[in-house]
Amino acid sequence: MSASKVLIGCWLGLAVLSVATVLLGSSGSTLALAASVLAVALIKAWLISDGFMELRHAPIQWRLLLATWPVAMAAGILLAMLL
Amino acid sequence: MSTLPDTATGVSRRLPGDLAMWFFILVELSAFAILILAFAVTQLLYPELFAQSRAALDSSTGLALTLSLLTSGLFAALAVEQVRIDQSRRAAWLLLAALLTSCIYVVLKLDEYGHLSSLGLGMEHNTFFTLYWILTGFHFLHVLLGMVILGWMAELCRRRAYNAQSHAGMESGVLYWHMVDMVWVLLFPLVYVLN
Repeated sequence: MSASKVLIGCWLGLAVLSVATVLLGSSGSTLALAASVLAVALIKAWLISDGFMELRHAPIQWRLLLATWPVAMAAGILLAMLL
Repeated sequence: MSTLPDTATGVSRRLPGDLAMWFFILVELSAFAILILAFAVTQLLYPELFAQSRAALDSSTGLALTLSLLTSGLFAALAVEQVRIDQSRRAAWLLLAALLTSCIYVVLKLDEYGHLSSLGLGMEHNTFFTLYWILTGFHFLHVLLGMVILGWMAELCRRRAYNAQSHAGMESGVLYWHMVDMVWVLLFPLVYVLN
């Protein structure tokens, strides 16, 4: 698949997941729904870092380093909701 | 531009852009992390206040803001692809499209800020809005800086300053723009959606 097609595929995924975020958020305010919204945000962050930022071709250390940020943020937000 | 060999697989792995930009991105992400976690922890302390205040925000506006940023990111990424095949003029048009799409974000955000201000929901209204203005305002400033970078890169592409052999500067500028996207992806559910 060409690089442009990969980018357009990532954008489509991001758009669909963004709509899903709003739909999940408006379905209620349970902890499970909050966790689902954050899981969707993590997938979106992965599409941006590996797709748009091309970290899928980068040294694994950098890929992991950038992946840590959204995971740490989502974990922090979820932990604050659990406490 | 750095190219590092992956000794385990024998595949040449490459970090796009300049190494300095990646360190800058890490610093920026750290600054946003402090603000995002401060918002989350304060929400823990005042859940009712945050739920009531969040009701003043329109999640469909948040969705439109998200889509405009992501579409702008797509155009910027496609522009890099065009430079790699020596299509600088096409890249300039794509960067212009990225800039115009990001203008939608600016217009919508300014409209939201104006609407909240007219309702008296300014920075001093309550804790939620103090953090809302700081967090989204800080991000908004990054968007504005990114737009200046996009405009400058479009001009450089028009002048054919980038080509297939030399475009690390453009990759770095576009990486900054994607970093702004990535921050918004976490900021959007936290501020507009999660209750």
